[in-house]
Amino acid sequence: MPDTAGILRLESLQVHFPIQGGLFDRVLGRSVGAMRAVDGIDLNVGRGEIVALVGESGSGKTTVGRVITKLAKPTGGRMLFEGRDMRSVEGFSALRPYRRRVQMIFQDAYQALNPRHTVFDIVAEPLQSLRLVGNATQLADRVSEALAAAGLNPPGDFFARFPHELSGGQRQRVVIAGALAVRPELIVADEPVSMLDVSIRAQILQVLVDLRDRHNMALLFITHDLPLAWLIADRIAVLYLGKLVEIGSADEITFNPRHPYTVALRNATPQIGGNAGRAELPALQGEVPSAARVPKGCRFHPRCPLAFDRCKAEEPPAIEVGPQHLSACWLAK
Amino acid sequence: MTSSSQDKTPLLEIDRLSVDYGLKGVSLRAIDGVSFALRAGEAVGLVGESGSGKTTTAMAIAGLLSPNARVSGGQVRYRGNRLPIDDDAAMRPHRWSETSVVFQGAMNALNPVHRIIKQIAEPCMLKLGMSRGEATKRGSELLQLVGIPADRGSAYPHELSGGMRQRVMIAMALACRPSIIIGDEPTTALDVITQAQILNLLGDLRSQLSLALILITHDLSVVAKCCDRVMIMYAGRIVEDGTVAEIFAQPKHPYTRQLIESIPNPASGKKMIRPIPGDPPNLVNRPSGCAFHPRCPSVMGGCATEVPSLNKFGRGRVACHLHRSLTQEDKVAVHA
Amino acid sequence: MSDNIVRYCPRGRARAIKGFLRQFLSYGGAQVGLVCLVFFLVVGAVPNILAGPLQTAINATGDFLAPPSGEHLLGTDEIGRDVLNLVLHGARISLTIALLATVISLVVGTTIGTTAGYYGGRVDVWLMRLTDFFFVMPSFVLALVITPVVLEVMGRGGEILGFRPSLFVIIVVIGMTSWSFVARIVRSQTLSLKERPFIDRARVAGSSNFGIMVRHILPNLVPQIAANGALVVASAIYVETSLSFLGLGDPLQPSWGTLLSLAQRAGAASAGAWWYLGAPGLCVLTVSLSFVLIGSALDDTFNPRRRVIP
Repeated sequence: MPDTAGILRLESLQVHFPIQGGLFDRVLGRSVGAMRAVDGIDLNVGRGEIVALVGESGSGKTTVGRVITKLAKPTGGRMLFEGRDMRSVEGFSALRPYRRRVQMIFQDAYQALNPRHTVFDIVAEPLQSLRLVGNATQLADRVSEALAAAGLNPPGDFFARFPHELSGGQRQRVVIAGALAVRPELIVADEPVSMLDVSIRAQILQVLVDLRDRHNMALLFITHDLPLAWLIADRIAVLYLGKLVEIGSADEITFNPRHPYTVALRNATPQIGGNAGRAELPALQGEVPSAARVPKGCRFHPRCPLAFDRCKAEEPPAIEVGPQHLSACWLAK
Repeated sequence: MTSSSQDKTPLLEIDRLSVDYGLKGVSLRAIDGVSFALRAGEAVGLVGESGSGKTTTAMAIAGLLSPNARVSGGQVRYRGNRLPIDDDAAMRPHRWSETSVVFQGAMNALNPVHRIIKQIAEPCMLKLGMSRGEATKRGSELLQLVGIPADRGSAYPHELSGGMRQRVMIAMALACRPSIIIGDEPTTALDVITQAQILNLLGDLRSQLSLALILITHDLSVVAKCCDRVMIMYAGRIVEDGTVAEIFAQPKHPYTRQLIESIPNPASGKKMIRPIPGDPPNLVNRPSGCAFHPRCPSVMGGCATEVPSLNKFGRGRVACHLHRSLTQEDKVAVHA
Repeated sequence: MSDNIVRYCPRGRARAIKGFLRQFLSYGGAQVGLVCLVFFLVVGAVPNILAGPLQTAINATGDFLAPPSGEHLLGTDEIGRDVLNLVLHGARISLTIALLATVISLVVGTTIGTTAGYYGGRVDVWLMRLTDFFFVMPSFVLALVITPVVLEVMGRGGEILGFRPSLFVIIVVIGMTSWSFVARIVRSQTLSLKERPFIDRARVAGSSNFGIMVRHILPNLVPQIAANGALVVASAIYVETSLSFLGLGDPLQPSWGTLLSLAQRAGAASAGAWWYLGAPGLCVLTVSLSFVLIGSALDDTFNPRRRVIP
């Protein structure tokens, strides 16, 4: 049996999207290649643990979240939930037990809420679809409970409201309430605060942290913001072009990064109080290449200020550089 | 009344500017008596949440207010001359050659069917009366200036990455040699590393071309990186104004302080989040008195009834009843 | 707590509907359209009370082609029937045909459009080819082909689902030739809807494909369906008029189109009997126009870009 302490385990998870070639290619039976959105990821999420998945756009972080919530299909590797491979489980009724335990919080609350449903409908939907309640009384109780846990008080006042009648922060709370209502054990949160006003962000983060503290819920927090990841997460995994380049405890990754990409990411993040006292590394040039043309060797080498010959030829494995701290770089110890 | 205590006229003066939006027959005040001055070459950050009026302020300065907006008071002066900001036609000669704007969504602001070099050359031909050849040459220079190889000029907008497109937007904004660039959330849609590249570019261009910069953003840390001065806006008014160093080290207004505290800062070493309770105010029912009073931890007697005026405090300005006793001018309260 | 559902949810709906109606009725076109439509619906519902039973050659009351007078407000036809009486009875037939054909068209069009758009791939390709087939099929030709067959099988006097065969054929033909237009619009809207994050959310919430289509996609299609439905009715009235004008209608249950056709054959135009052509013609024009007005008002009301959300 693989690690039973963890709730979710990704083993060389891979998501390649085929690139649609032209008619010409198809007639000739020529393969056009694939978008290697996620290209072999190993990640373990423990019970009650908050893991942050940090990366830029195009890093595949959202795709990982979609695979875990069964919105996207992996093309390789395994996805173990409590030791059981969930890759082959398909169809809404077969997935029902899984969905009762794994839920998702979306980035854009306005888009993630059906404009024609009331708050009650929205929060009640998973409870009804996943057959978690027997009657209307139970349903109303669970909806109220979830809204209250997400910080919408008194819950009854929100039942009949439509999403456009709520503020941005309240909408995100409704999304959270919808995920909470089923009392999941793992929540995938895809940039849950990036669309919110700064003063509201802390409120939402507080709700998420409380959930973990009170219900021992695990959280996979997807973000592009390293300081935010440091704030909320126990562990941080840094993703570059479909592969994890570094993973370790939040403090280790923030204060002692061992991969040049993590260092660059940290240096690029503007900070109040200046960026003083940081390892000096020249600013990164260029942008993340397309996942359709992943560079050979270490995928970061064309942009890496420290790259040398070996980086161009061989892909570095994840090397243990500290306790629970892995870095995929030839320069890491 | 503005902070133009310098003997020489500031480059841009915004004097008690108020803008209303007409919405279904109701008039809503988006900004209310905003005053500040911008010196040549200065970089000012205008920070606020949604509905704070930061974008309205910027659009008013650039004369790009939407048709349902009305300037209901105050004026904007450029080198001492009043700008006709509410007259689209009269504003035309000023736009792009004195102030120009870099918008947030570069993809929407670029025409998808024209090559970027043409789009940069166009304003040069129209505004500076250049011939096509001259304008194309200027376009290539501008592209190089913003760090795009000149041969990429023949690309179409969709062939460029987000960061590249934002560079094109900056090149276009520079085409008519303005002295003020207004960046309206220029890096919000970009990744961290690209954002750093664009902010560095703006900083370089500023010193190279001695540009003044007004940076509109919701992100205090962006301001920390590339501005000299920062103004915090809340519900249509400036609540605090000061140098970046001062504001971040010693914020005076409770809102500013809480805003800074709600940003995760590993440098501080402490993992603490202090949420600001409540929601940002909307224009329809703005709280009475100080608009921040329902969310303020230091709220006192007069806060709910009396609007605090923006008074000089130290080297900056602050609009808070906590700091009123220290000034002489507190009787000159602005009335809504 | 349970009464919360009962108490709050209908209130939310009621409030939404009230807001919608207020917005809808603020358009002048909607008011004009609704007034006309209600007038014709009332007329179509109780023609017997307003103008007595349908007149035939046997119980005709007037002279031949008499111009409007106190006795016959809209004059008479070539066999002495009161034109007002015919037009009022025609309203019932015309509106029934148009509305039923529209229902067929909307049900078929929405089902096919949603299925094609939601499932995509091969399902989409085949359903859209089918749609294309019906899209290019001219309603006249279809009517000309089907009518004789149905009449042959059923006989002129028979009845299908309570309709006389020729009326039934017209309803089916109009329904069958107009749904493809609806299907195309619904499909394109479904394509954009299914990419919206709330569909992902519904899937994570454990909804089935059918549940997603019914609970999430369909309600968001209502604007398109309603606005285009009104336009389909307008065109159905025209098509019905044209088909009847060509003689495919039922002379025993005269619709406005049948009346126009009879007037044409009686030489009303050359005889200067403007009332005979004008009355049904004006009715067709008014009803179609009111549906178009309602349709565009619905479109404006539903269009979120014209609706200010604070």
